[in-house]
Amino acid sequence: MQIKYNKITFNSYLDFLQLLQSYIGTHEENRLFALKQKDLLNKPKEILLLWLNTHAFRVPKVINSKNFLTHIGVVTNFLGLFALIVGFFTGMGLLSYNGQEPINIIYYLFFAMMLPFTSMILTLFSIFSRGKLLEFLTLLSPLYWIEKVFTFFSFKHQFDLLKDSISTKLQKWIFLKRLQLLALLFSIGLFVALIVMVVSQDIAFSWSTTLNVSSQCFHDFLVTVALPWRDIFPSTIPSLELVEMSQHYRLGEKLNSSMVAHADKLGEWWRYLAMATFFYAILLRILFYWVASYILQYVLEQEFLALAGVNRLLREFTTPFISTKASDSEKHLPIREENRTHLKAFKAMSQDQYSNVIGWNFMFDEIVLINDVKNIKVSSFDITGGNHTFEEDEKVAKEAKERVLLYVKSWEPPTMDFVDFLEELIHNKAVKEVEVFLLGTSENAYEYSKKELAIWNRKIEGLGSRKVWIIDAK
Amino acid sequence: MQNSTKREYNYPKFAVVGHPNKGKSSIVSSLALDDSIQIGDTPGTTQVKRGFPLKVDGKIIYELFDTPGFQRARRILAWLNKQEPVSADKRADVVRAFIFAHQEDERFRDEIELLEPIMDGAGIIYVVDASKPYGPEYEVEMEILRWCGQPSMAILNLIGEDDYREQWKSALGHYFRMVRTFNPLTTTFEDHISLLESMSQLKEEWTEPIKVAISILENLHKEKRIETINAIILNMQKTLSFVYKQSIKGQTATSKEEASSKEKYQQKIVHYEKIQRKAIEEIWNHKGMEKIEDSLVLDEAGLFSKESASIFGLSEKELIVTGASAGAMSGLGIDLLFGGGSLFLGSFIGGAVGGLGAKFGFNNLYEVKILGRKVGKRELTIGPMKNLNFPYILLGRALYHSSMVAKRSHALRESLTLDDKTFYTEQIIDSEMRKRLEKVHVILRKGESVSDELLDEYKKTIQESFKKLM
Repeated sequence: MQIKYNKITFNSYLDFLQLLQSYIGTHEENRLFALKQKDLLNKPKEILLLWLNTHAFRVPKVINSKNFLTHIGVVTNFLGLFALIVGFFTGMGLLSYNGQEPINIIYYLFFAMMLPFTSMILTLFSIFSRGKLLEFLTLLSPLYWIEKVFTFFSFKHQFDLLKDSISTKLQKWIFLKRLQLLALLFSIGLFVALIVMVVSQDIAFSWSTTLNVSSQCFHDFLVTVALPWRDIFPSTIPSLELVEMSQHYRLGEKLNSSMVAHADKLGEWWRYLAMATFFYAILLRILFYWVASYILQYVLEQEFLALAGVNRLLREFTTPFISTKASDSEKHLPIREENRTHLKAFKAMSQDQYSNVIGWNFMFDEIVLINDVKNIKVSSFDITGGNHTFEEDEKVAKEAKERVLLYVKSWEPPTMDFVDFLEELIHNKAVKEVEVFLLGTSENAYEYSKKELAIWNRKIEGLGSRKVWIIDAK
Repeated sequence: MQNSTKREYNYPKFAVVGHPNKGKSSIVSSLALDDSIQIGDTPGTTQVKRGFPLKVDGKIIYELFDTPGFQRARRILAWLNKQEPVSADKRADVVRAFIFAHQEDERFRDEIELLEPIMDGAGIIYVVDASKPYGPEYEVEMEILRWCGQPSMAILNLIGEDDYREQWKSALGHYFRMVRTFNPLTTTFEDHISLLESMSQLKEEWTEPIKVAISILENLHKEKRIETINAIILNMQKTLSFVYKQSIKGQTATSKEEASSKEKYQQKIVHYEKIQRKAIEEIWNHKGMEKIEDSLVLDEAGLFSKESASIFGLSEKELIVTGASAGAMSGLGIDLLFGGGSLFLGSFIGGAVGGLGAKFGFNNLYEVKILGRKVGKRELTIGPMKNLNFPYILLGRALYHSSMVAKRSHALRESLTLDDKTFYTEQIIDSEMRKRLEKVHVILRKGESVSDELLDEYKKTIQESFKKLM
C-alpha cells in the first residue's frame, strides 16, 4: 500500500472529508480492518490515517486537494510577495528624507510598532470571539478584502465548496495564520526598507508632536518600549541628551541650529528604530505566526476527529461486529398466479350424491358433529390420515368409487402425505370425482377463510387433475 | 475428520421445526433480527434449511436453523418402526440410517433437510399454531422428534385470534420438557431474551454460551438505541441550523424568488428527515420496510402541516413557557456580561419578550428571515428555523418513527403504519426536559455550534424520552 497520508495535514483533512461523504464501509469491513491493526486501536489519529490510506483510491475529486492546495499556495505566495513589497515601499515612504525636515520617528514608530501591536490585539480578540463579533473583526482585516481576489480565479468554485464544507473554527484559524504570515512579510519589508535607507542615505531623525510632551517623558516612554532588549543592547537606547536635541518644531523655515550642530548624532536613532521594528513587528509576529500555526494544527486534528462519520468509524473499529444473518442466500419459491378453475359451488349434499365420505386427519366424533352442523346426511364415512396407517388409508382409497367427498381441516395446509392419498384416489379408475370440502374450526362454525381456500386451491391446481374439485361454500 | 470438525464448532445449535405454515420462518426471522427471510402463506415456502448464526467478529455463538415443514411424517415413522427394535440410546442412529438411506429420495427432501441439523447436534424447537385446535396428526411428528434424542422445547405461536394453548399444552407436555408461548409478530426485545433463556436450559453445556449471546444482544440493543439518538441529534443540528441561500437578480427578492426559495428550504429539511429515517431503519435492520403514513400528519409534506404541529408540537401554553425560557436564556447572556449588575433585568425582559413572541407566533408554523448580502451580489437567505415549535415537531416525529421501527418485529412483512394520532410529544418530554432541550435549540437557531457539554446533556434528555417510548 502506498502511504500517501502519514500525518494530519490540510491535504489529508480535505481528502478524508470527501471520502467520508462518499464512502464509509460497513461495520463488518471496518471491524475487520481494525482487527488487523490491533496495536492502533487506542490511537484514533493513526488508525484513521491508515484507513484513509487504504481507501485513498476511493477519494472523490470534487475538490482536488493537491491541485487546490497548490492554487491556494500560489495565491498566498503572491499575496505574501505583495505584502513584502508594500511593506518595503511603506518603509521607503516613511524614511524618505528631503533634506529640509528630519524624519519624525513617532510617525515611523506608529507603523513599525503601534500598527502591528494593534493588529495583534485584534487577532487576540478574534481568537476569543465567535459569531457576529468574529465576522465583524474579520471585516476589519485587509486580508478579508484581498481574499476577494480568489473569486476571479478558476478554482473559485472549489474555494466556495471548501468554505461550505469546513467548520467556522477551522476557517478562522486558517485565516488567522495567513493573516500573521502576510503581516510578518509586511514588517520584514518595512525592516529591509529601514536598513536600505539607513545604509544608502544620510537620514536625520527627530521627534515632533503637538502634545505637550517633555523630553524626559518621551525618553521614559522610549526606555519602557525598549524593555525587551534594553539590557541586551543598551547602546540602542537614545540618551536623554539625544532626545532633547532631537525635538523638532516646525515653526520657522529652517532647522534648529542645535540640531544642525549635532547632525551626526541624529542618525543614531536608526538603531532604536531597527530594534523596535525587529522586536514588535517581526519577533512578536513570528511568535503569533508560530502560535497560530500550532493552534491551527491542533484545530485541524480536532476537526479531523470531529468530521461527520468519524465517530461511527471509530465505534465500528472498536465494537465487535455482530451478525445474525444467514450466510447462504435464500431459494425463493416461484410466484404463481392464482387460477380458480378447480373451484365448485357448494350445493346441499347428501349421501345420495356421494359414494364415499372421507375425513382427512379428523377424529370420528368430529365428523359426526360436522355432518350434523352442515346437515349432511350420511350413513357411513371413513377416516384417514392422522394416526391411521398407510395400509388403512390405501384400503379406503382403493374401495372408493364414483363421487368422493373429502373433508379436510382448512387451517392445516395440504402436506405431501395428503397429496399421496389424494393421488391414490385419483389413480383409482372407479373414482370419477373427488370434492374437497374445507372445514374451519368448530369455534368459527366450520367456516374457512379466503386465504385458506387460496392455499388449498393452489395445491390442488398443482396436481393438474380434472377429477379433483374444491367446494367453494362461500 | 468429521469428529474433529464437530469439536471445533461446539456451539449451541437450534433447529426450528414443525408442521408447514406454523410460523417457523417468522420465529427465526424475529430471533435472527432479519426481515429478509421469505415468509409466505403457501406451505413449503422454506425449501431448504438455512442457518442463522449469531456471530461476533466471525465467531459463532449459537446458530438457529430455519427448516422446511414435515411433509411425509407418517412414512418416516413407519420406516423407523419397521427397523429392528433398538434401545432408546440407539434410536438416533436409526434416524441417521433413515437420512443415509433416503439422501437421494426426492420424496423425503424436506424431512432430510429438517432432520440433518438435529442429527448434527441441534436442539429442537418445535413450533405449533396454538390459535388452532390440536390434532392427532402432530403426534407422528413429535414421535419422530423423540426418536432423534435431542433436547427439545415447544413454542406456542398464536397466529390467529383464537387461543387453544391449554389444549396444546396438555398434548405437548407428553413430548417436551418445556413449552413456551412466543408470538414472533408482537415480540419485544424482552420476549426475545426470555426465549433465549429458556433455550439455554435445554442442555447444561449451552447455558454459558447462551448467556454470552444474551449479553451480546443486550449490548447490541443498547448500541442501536445510542446510534438512533445520534442520528436524531445529527438531523436536529442540521435542520435547525440550516440556511438556504439563493442569489437574486434585483435589489430585493421578488415574491416568486421568495416563494421558490421557501419551497427549496422546506424540501431540503424534508430531505434531511428522510435521510434520518432511512438511517434509523438501517440501524434496526429494517431495510426493505415500506411505510403507510397518515397523509396529513406523518408523510413528507406533513412536516410543515398544522396537523403535524398539533400532534408533535407543543400546546400554546407550553409554547409560551418555552418561549419565555428561551428568551430568558438570551437575556441571561446580557446579565452575565454585566456581571449581574443589571439585576437580572435582561433575563426578565428576555423571558417576557420570548413568551409574548411565542404567543403571537404560535399560528405561524414556520418563520423565515430574509437577510444577508454579500459584497458584489445580493443573496436571499432563509433560515435558520426560528419557529419555537418546530424543533419539537421534528423531535416528536423522529422519536415516534424511531420507537415504531425499534419495536417492530423482523417477522412482520406488512407495511409499517405511522398514523397514531394519540401520540403527543408532551407525553414524553416534560417541562424540565424541555428547558434542557431549549438551551441547545436557542444556539442552533442562532446558527452557532453547540458545546460538547450541552450536546451531552441534550443527548441524555432525548435518550430519556426515547426510553419512555420503548
